[in-house]
Amino acid sequence: MRTWLRIFVVGGAISFRALFSWIRPSVYVPTLLLGPTTQVLFFAYLGRTAHLESDDWFVVGNAVQSASLAALFGMGFAIDGERWSHTLSAVLATPANRAALFLGRAVPVLLNAAVTSATGFLGGVLLLGFRPPWSAVPALALLVLIASFACTGLGMLTGAVGLRTRDVPIIANLTMAVLLIFCGVNVPLDKLPGWMHSTAEALPLTHAIDAARRVADGASLGSVGTQVGVEIALGTAYLVAGFALLRWFELEGRRHGTLDRA
Amino acid sequence: MAGGPVIEARDLKRVYKTTTGVIRRKPLEVEAVRGVSFAIERGELFGLLGPNGAGKTTTIKMLITLLLPTSGEARVLGLDVVSDAREVRKRIGYVFGGDRGLYERLSAYDNLRYFAELYGVSGKAQRLRIDEVLELVGLKGREQERVEGYSRGMRQRLHIARGILHDPEVVFLDEPTIGVDPVGARDLRQTISDLVSGGKTVLLTTHYMFEADALCDRIAVIAKGRIVGEGTPAELKERVGGGRVTEIEVFGVDAPTVGRLRGLEGVTAVTVEEQEQRQLLIVQSTGERELTAPLLAQLDGIEVGRVASREPTLEDAYISLVTAE
Amino acid sequence: MTEAPKSGGIGFAGAGAGIRSAARVFWTGFVLNFKILSVSPFMVMTAALWPLVYATLAFLMFRATHHAPSLLYAALGAAVMGIWSTTATSAGGAIQQQRWWGVLELLVAAPSRLILVLAPVTVAIAGIGVYSIASTLLWGRLLFGVPIHISHPALFAIAIPAAVLAIGMLGLVLASSLVLYRSASAFSQALEYPIWLITGMLIPLSLLPRWIDPVAWALAPTWGMRAVRRAAIGGDVGTPLLVCAALTVAYAGLSMLLLHHFERLARERATLSLT
Repeated sequence: MRTWLRIFVVGGAISFRALFSWIRPSVYVPTLLLGPTTQVLFFAYLGRTAHLESDDWFVVGNAVQSASLAALFGMGFAIDGERWSHTLSAVLATPANRAALFLGRAVPVLLNAAVTSATGFLGGVLLLGFRPPWSAVPALALLVLIASFACTGLGMLTGAVGLRTRDVPIIANLTMAVLLIFCGVNVPLDKLPGWMHSTAEALPLTHAIDAARRVADGASLGSVGTQVGVEIALGTAYLVAGFALLRWFELEGRRHGTLDRA
Repeated sequence: MAGGPVIEARDLKRVYKTTTGVIRRKPLEVEAVRGVSFAIERGELFGLLGPNGAGKTTTIKMLITLLLPTSGEARVLGLDVVSDAREVRKRIGYVFGGDRGLYERLSAYDNLRYFAELYGVSGKAQRLRIDEVLELVGLKGREQERVEGYSRGMRQRLHIARGILHDPEVVFLDEPTIGVDPVGARDLRQTISDLVSGGKTVLLTTHYMFEADALCDRIAVIAKGRIVGEGTPAELKERVGGGRVTEIEVFGVDAPTVGRLRGLEGVTAVTVEEQEQRQLLIVQSTGERELTAPLLAQLDGIEVGRVASREPTLEDAYISLVTAE
Repeated sequence: MTEAPKSGGIGFAGAGAGIRSAARVFWTGFVLNFKILSVSPFMVMTAALWPLVYATLAFLMFRATHHAPSLLYAALGAAVMGIWSTTATSAGGAIQQQRWWGVLELLVAAPSRLILVLAPVTVAIAGIGVYSIASTLLWGRLLFGVPIHISHPALFAIAIPAAVLAIGMLGLVLASSLVLYRSASAFSQALEYPIWLITGMLIPLSLLPRWIDPVAWALAPTWGMRAVRRAAIGGDVGTPLLVCAALTVAYAGLSMLLLHHFERLARERATLSLT
């Protein structure tokens, strides 16, 4: 058990370090803190241009979606850290330990994603008069965490793919593009073509955003229980799938002697 | 052309301001160049020789207008490097060693075309000139390949080609053969030599003594920001005492014995070089006399191997100059 | 003292640098940098993917209601947004990129004026955005049936390069002011959405608070966008085109000052070759 914990923390440290290897504080502020605010502002006004929905609708959608940038890139680079920790593969023989490592890596990424998302909301409050009822705030915070979790899970999967294709930024960019278009962030789901709507159901963010919008409107957390459940389930599924893929790559790597590739 | 030095440095100084410490940053002043003066005549191949960190690169960058001197003056072709920077840039070429400094994803030819344009070589003259320099540095036939596929030696040659595109009168080379294989380096040195026989004036910095010895008409030895010796290679060797160097292989010599050797008449220095199971004694002495007999007499009782007596090389002069502080 | 020769070697012969020579240096630099960027997968991705994403979003959003501007309006806006996208991402750190390649000190050591050497870098970055214009309009036509009807094709053909130049020079102003800051790239990237907003590329200026107007008018891309849109949809193209050109020239002047300052500082502090 102690080994598990130790490896969990080591994984977290790697992730934390990876996070700040690509994102110095002087980069962090513009990219992860100003970014969501300006995005929220832009799309709210675009909504006004199209006479579509309301400012609040766009604030919630874009603020929650902001989690995806941090999650996808964060996980991508944290997993890529695999490359420079060859030594660890010798130590971590058991699948259980591997799980600890990767879960450990996911935690800082998840928290970072949540913070990013929160700043999007803050931007909405300061610049667009977003004023959810006070009772909704804890529920929104929880939904942000859940959405971040789901995105982190997806990040585990795309990170694994990125590791293989050796192109983390491109995979992360593509995934973010899809999420931005499909998940009802800026276009109401019922206005999307059927196939896009169906795809969205299987993606993170869709349910969390929907739930968050209702909660911001005054609904109770209980009433959005289904969406919450689906979001958590999706996140877990992606996390497990990503982990499985990583294991598979690793085993394949052992078989073909490509494990410690540069 | 009127007389007078082509490159002139007068008491050049350069101070860098940095900070030390992580938590509380203290300002620190580093004197990289502490009053360097020299004059280079037309058609000379002048070498600035010194160990890493001596101030060679800093000095050369002041001369090519990339660095402002903290104090002192420098002129190239009579033009002040600070106030007439643009005019100086038109007339000089700058070549440095290393892998960077080229557009990797483009061909050598594209790189040269671009720099030709930057230096005002354009139109028909450009194409002719590019062909000329490619021929000169031995890259003809490979100019359409991407630079990212070039070896270090080829890059160096491309650097030189780039540096002379506009046919400058003065060429500055900063460690041009660093990291190049011996054969490639030899070819490069020949190219550099050819530049001078073609009428150019060349200032070369290097930390390879044999390179300075082989190539340069005159050398200035720089250490810790100061010139510690200047002259032709022969003159510098002269400075070591003009005497002889005796190398004696011994197996197990002790400090008292070395001390006695030092005390012998005519001996100026004894250096002990540890080499696995034996030591190499390098004895510098004044005068033409061979000291082999008296030296061996002192080593009575100690096993002695090879004994050789030779003239001092530039390396001996260099080491003695550079470690004199 | 040696008598200084009139010119060096075979470079800058004769009357020396003039407008033609300056134009040549700029054009050569533009072609070189454009070539380098075109073979960079990252650039292609930024120029190809994200403009299509924003175009798609605009199309879907505008199509969802009956009170939105036309889809052609959206297509044009998204296309020019794409030009700013590539610029915002890459221009801020463009000078630092040259330093990283080890080429910056060579560019400064060359006798050509620094602005003629660095302006092509940012303008080439903006120029890559032309790929996004083509792809956005095509995308709109093929997937959303957007009627690509250009009212004044000749003026359109002038307005596009004018917009590219305007955005490229804004990129140079950014690059020149941020060159000594480590996070130049990130900062300029953070300006992606704000510039889209303020220059009225997709969101009409009339929807923004009035105090934004002077800021918008001082930005050359605002006028470039207006020229492009009117050339396609109709209206007075001449005025925005002229104002755009004037502001672009002003940006060039500002950049010259900033670059002169930077060069002076870099020569004093010896930062030209450091990564």
